[in-house]
Parts: sequence; C-alpha cells; structure tokens
Amino acid sequence: MKQWIRWSGLAGFVVVFGLIVAFFMLAAGPLIKSSIEYFGSELAGAKVSVDDVSLQFSPFGIELQQLQVADADKPMENLLQFDQAVAELELAPLLLGKSIVRELSVDNLQFNTPRTESGALEKVAEEEAVDEEAETQAEEPSIAKLPSVDEILARESLKTEQAGRDVQQAFESRKQQVEQATAAVPDAEALARYQRELEVLTSGDIKSLEDFNQRKKKFDQLKKQFKQDKKAVVAAKQAISDARRDLSEKLSALKAAPGQDLESIQNKYQFNASGATNVSALLFGEEAGQWAEKTLYWYEKIKPYLASDGSESGEAEVEEIEPQRGTGRFIHFPSNDPWPEFLIRKAHLSAPMLGGQMLIEATDVTHQQAVLGRPTLVVIQGEALTDIQGLAIEATLDHRQAPGKDSVTLDMKDWNLKGVNLGVAGAEIESALVQVQGLALVSGDQLQAKADAQLGQTQFAGQGKTQFAKEMLRALASIDQFTIESSATGELTSPEVKFGSDLDRKLNKAFKQRLKKKQGELEAKLQSRLDDKMQSYLGDYADDLKALNQLDGSLDDKTEQLTQMAEKQLDDYQAQQKAKADKELKKQEKELENKLNDKLKSFF
Amino acid sequence: MLTLLAKLFKALNSESSPGQIALAFSLAVIVGLTPFTSLHNILVLLLAFILRVNLSAFFLAVAVFSGVGYLIDPMSVQLGETILQSPALYDSWTELYQNDLWRMMAFNNTLVMGGFTLAMIAFIPVLVVSRLLIVMYRDKLLAWVNKLKIVQALKAGKFYNIYQSLAD
Repeated sequence: MKQWIRWSGLAGFVVVFGLIVAFFMLAAGPLIKSSIEYFGSELAGAKVSVDDVSLQFSPFGIELQQLQVADADKPMENLLQFDQAVAELELAPLLLGKSIVRELSVDNLQFNTPRTESGALEKVAEEEAVDEEAETQAEEPSIAKLPSVDEILARESLKTEQAGRDVQQAFESRKQQVEQATAAVPDAEALARYQRELEVLTSGDIKSLEDFNQRKKKFDQLKKQFKQDKKAVVAAKQAISDARRDLSEKLSALKAAPGQDLESIQNKYQFNASGATNVSALLFGEEAGQWAEKTLYWYEKIKPYLASDGSESGEAEVEEIEPQRGTGRFIHFPSNDPWPEFLIRKAHLSAPMLGGQMLIEATDVTHQQAVLGRPTLVVIQGEALTDIQGLAIEATLDHRQAPGKDSVTLDMKDWNLKGVNLGVAGAEIESALVQVQGLALVSGDQLQAKADAQLGQTQFAGQGKTQFAKEMLRALASIDQFTIESSATGELTSPEVKFGSDLDRKLNKAFKQRLKKKQGELEAKLQSRLDDKMQSYLGDYADDLKALNQLDGSLDDKTEQLTQMAEKQLDDYQAQQKAKADKELKKQEKELENKLNDKLKSFF
Repeated sequence: MLTLLAKLFKALNSESSPGQIALAFSLAVIVGLTPFTSLHNILVLLLAFILRVNLSAFFLAVAVFSGVGYLIDPMSVQLGETILQSPALYDSWTELYQNDLWRMMAFNNTLVMGGFTLAMIAFIPVLVVSRLLIVMYRDKLLAWVNKLKIVQALKAGKFYNIYQSLAD
C-alpha cells in the first residue's frame, strides 16, 4: 500500500492550490473593479468608475468605494453615485461562478450629481450625436416649441409634392404616346384631298368600261386608305382616352393631396400631451416630470435583465436551446434555496433626496426569477422629507413567466406643493397640500397606470398681463381644492395619457380657445402653402388636359368625315348603261306616243 | 510538450509499473471529459498527486482527453440532459439538490453529468486496455521500435536529447 502513496505529492498539491488561491485573492479586487467599470459602461452607455474594490473575509464579501455612473445624455452629470457598498457573498455558489449576495448595503446613493470630467464614451458620443438631435426634434412637448410652417414643410415628406411629380411624369409619358398616335391620323388637308378625289371619281359620265374600271380601282384604293386612317384615328382616340383618364386620376390625387398632408401634419403635431413625462411635468412641476422620466429610463434599462431567459425554467424550453459548447447548462430542481447565476437576497440603499432620506429595500434581485421562483420586491420609504409627510412606494417585479408582470403602488401624504407652474399664461399653484395615490401595472410592454391627486388649500398666483391670463387667474382664484385623476394606458414607451380634473374642466375652455386659435393660424398657413404647391403643379396640366379634350373632339369630326366619305358608292357600270338605255327607251316611247297622239288628232 | 512526451516515453520504457501509468490515463479521462474547473476535478488532481501514478502520463492524457471531451461535448450534454431530466431519477436529483456540497459539485450541470458519466463508463476499460497495451508495448514492441530507422533518426534530434537528459 505504501508504494502507492506519494506524500510529497500531497505537499505539492497544497502548495499549488495555495498559490492559486492567493493569486485570486490578490487579483480579485482589481479584476472585479475593471469588470464593474467595463460591463457597467457597456450597460449605461457612459463611463462607470469605482475608486476601490477590496475583498473582505469575515464575512466573505466585497466592498466598493465611490462608484459613479455617468449620464449618457448629460456627460457632465452622474446618473447615480454612492459612497460605499458592501456586498456579503455566499462562498459555495461562488465556487460555481454564481454570484449570490446575501446582503448588500449602499450608503449615500445620489442621483444627478455633477461630474468634474465628462463621462461620455468616445464612440458612443459620436454615434449618438445625430440620433439625439433627431429625437429632440421629434419630441416637441410644449406649445412654445412647436415648429414653424417652414420647418414642418421641410421636415415632412409631403404627398402634394409626390402627387405633383406623378402628374409631371404621367404627362411627359402620355404626351409622347398621344403624339405618336396622332401623327398617323390624316390632317385637314389630307381630308380635303380625299374629298376632291372622291368628287372627281363619282361625278361625270362613265364613258366606257375601261373608264369605269379605272375609277373603281382608284375608288377602292381610297377606301382602303380610309380604313387605315380610321384605324389610326381609333388608336389615337384610345391613346387620348388613356392619357385623359390617367391624368385625371393623377390630378384628382394632386387635388386631394394638400388635404391629406394637412391631416397628417395635424395628427403629428397635435397640441395634446405627447407622453406621461410631459403632462406630469405640466401639472406637478418640473421635478415630478424629471422623476417620471428617470423612473422610465431605469425601468427600461433594468427590464431586459429581469426577464428570465427561460433556459433554467423547465422541460418545455429544452428543445429550443442549443447546448453551449464547453459549458452545458444547469438544471434546477425544487428547493427552498435555488442558486441563480446572480442574486441579491437583500439590499438596503439609502439616498438623500427631497430634503431627507429615501430608504430603499430590495429583495430577491435576479435576472433568473424563474430559477428563484420568487419575484423581486422593492420598497421605498421616505424619511424626514422636507415637503412630504409620508412617502411609500412598493414595486413587485415578476418576470417568472413571459410576459412579465410588474406593479408599483405609490402613496404620498401631505405633499406641500409650492410654486408649480401650470404652463399657461404664467399661472402657477402658489401652494397646495397634496395627497397622491397611484397604481401602475406593466404586463409585457403594456402599461396600465392610474393616479389620483387631491389638492387642498390651493392658492394660485400669476403675473400674466394679457386678457387671457387675467381671466384665467380670476377663474383660478375661486378654486381652493380640486382633484386630478390621471391614467396612462397602452405601450409603455408611448402610453395614451389622460388627465381629468375639476381644474381641467374649468380651464379647459380657456386652454381650448388658446390652442384652437394657435392651431387655426398654423393650419391656415399650412393650407395656403400646400395649395400653392398644388397649384404650381396643377396650373400647367389643367390646360393640357383641356387641349387633350379638344384634340379628342377634332378626332371625332375626322372620324365622321372619313365615315361619310367611305359610305360613298361608285355606280355599277352595267347599271349605269342600263339606266342610260332605259332613259333613251323612255325618250323614244315618249316621242312615239306624241306622234301617235298627233295622228289621232288628225282623225277627229 | 516535447518534454512531457519525452517523459511519457521515459515512463513507458522505464521500470514504472504499467498499473501506475494506466491509472494516470484513467484519472485523466475524468478531468478531460468534464469541465476542468469542476470541483470533483480537484479531488481527481489530489488523487493524482497523492497516489503514485505517473504525473507526466496524467497531464499528457488530460491534454489529449480534453480535446476528445471538446469534440464529444454535444453528446455529453445530451447524455447529461437525458439523465438529469429522467423522471425516474427526479427524486434523487431533487434530494441531492438540497445539499450544498452536491450542488457545488455541479451535478446538475448537463455537461458535468454527461461527461462524468462517460468518464465513469470509460474508466475501467481505459485502465485495463492501457495497462495491457503498455505491457504488450514493453514485451513486444520496445525492441522493435528502437530498431526502426525513424526512431534512430529521432534519436539524433532534439527530442532524443531531452529524452536522454531525463533518462540520465
């Protein structure tokens, strides 16, 4: 037995593994740091930096110092940053490459903090410059930013112009066809010549059989020519008819195009709210608008990572998944403690905000909820906030099955609202005490949200000097409380947002009048410009169409003339001789009769 | 690599027990056919170090069987899927899954399970056949191989120098 054991091998094994473990312990900090910075930057689309990452051994975990995530849209701002994060890791899953954080605590989480240097990634900054410009132009939220008539006309692909070009093209091609067809039609001179030739052939006596045959030959030739000419006339008429129908259709389309363009522009640049963030900004102030925007931004970022890829969840998906070379896949069995690839069992975050602290607790944060079997829960509580007595937000992000179902409830008590610009005529809510309750459900890409806000003890103010502003302020002065009911339904990225309130109803009329006037002015200008465009195409071709009609009429005359000429007959030679003989016979009979009468008279 | 090959030849031609070399091959099958970083491979390495198996043969065979493992890993994965998804074994796997140590062994990974099963099937045949081949090689082929012109040519080259330096 002894000869089978190599004790020096054991020592070698221990030394080798000791060295490997020591190497990883030393390299772990820098490796984790660069991983966070690299993958974080990929995810955020802007620089992510960490000052220091260190390993802790009791309990086992990592500690991050000063993490900053730059805002891709505003490179001189951080989307978020925190001073310190401590993650307590579970060792056993880590040996399998699974990051399971037993507890994560983040201190002093802050949003929108200034940066000392730009956080833009070079290539992203270049690539997105154009897109950003386009997006900014597309999302024109306020009345003040409405584009001018020239801008709209320059930006839009107008049907009027397309229809105009169609008319031009159709006219050019049809003109050629009509010209070719009418070239074969006999002109007036030819018709007069035919007439003369016919008269010569059909007048005077036929002197002999030979004379008759000659006339007959010429007559037949003329008839053959008439046949050909009639065919040419028919072809020309067909070409004209086709051209007229085609041009008429295209001209009708051109006449209708300005109306269609105007309707399309009206739909695109309508004056209603273009999204939840704009409307909430209008009614609850800039701050609330920014929060709504930020929430959507983070939700969009996080959402793809919440969805379980399904590869871990069951038998049904097995056939669809290509086995990965060299790694295989983990099959999970029922357990109270499953190990997804990444999991934060519990996270505590504190963020100074709204003059106090927001305490955020998240549980079961993972991208493989199907493996974990539980949804992610996030509870946010406001503490010692300056203007809000109580704030509680609860979110359940359930992506165990597709489509994911997320729900958020909001409960805000005694929000001391001050100086909220109503966005119209310089009017603002000077002060109000607001209670807000909200519920949002997201299923897949569909959003259903509802929020009610009760505003009490409202005081309005305004410095508007126009008649409209004064009237509005007078209307507002009589209101000391009102309710705002809001809802958002439809696609998450572009929900249909509806707002209703007592205030709305009272101000609706004033809003409508203002908007109607402004919209009317814009529409009138647009209509006029579109009509001008239409006329510039239509003017020339209306005359041409008339000319086509005249040409068609003259062809009708020619057809008539040719038909009449073709109907003329050359008398038959025998019949003509017979008639002549009959005439002579009658003459002789008459003479004989006269002679006989004379003779009879002499008898009496 | 040349050094490793020379060491293998040295082992084949030396007085090392054919069983020690054959066991090295068999242990290498386990490491080669399963993902290298699996926890059970640490145990196999520990065995390879402690047991008086031929380490040169072991490491060379690990390299060779890793290549074989990569080539057949679709089959290993499929086998692992079949075993882990087998309704008859479901309760057993569920029971093992409750234990952290077993989970650390990644028994529920399709490649680990498939590769390990194949390695276990191959273990005894590889042990027996390789031992037999080594004995046959030493009995019948060694003298004949040494007489081959190509071997003599090789003896004049770098490989033989390494072999010789190790033999000395």
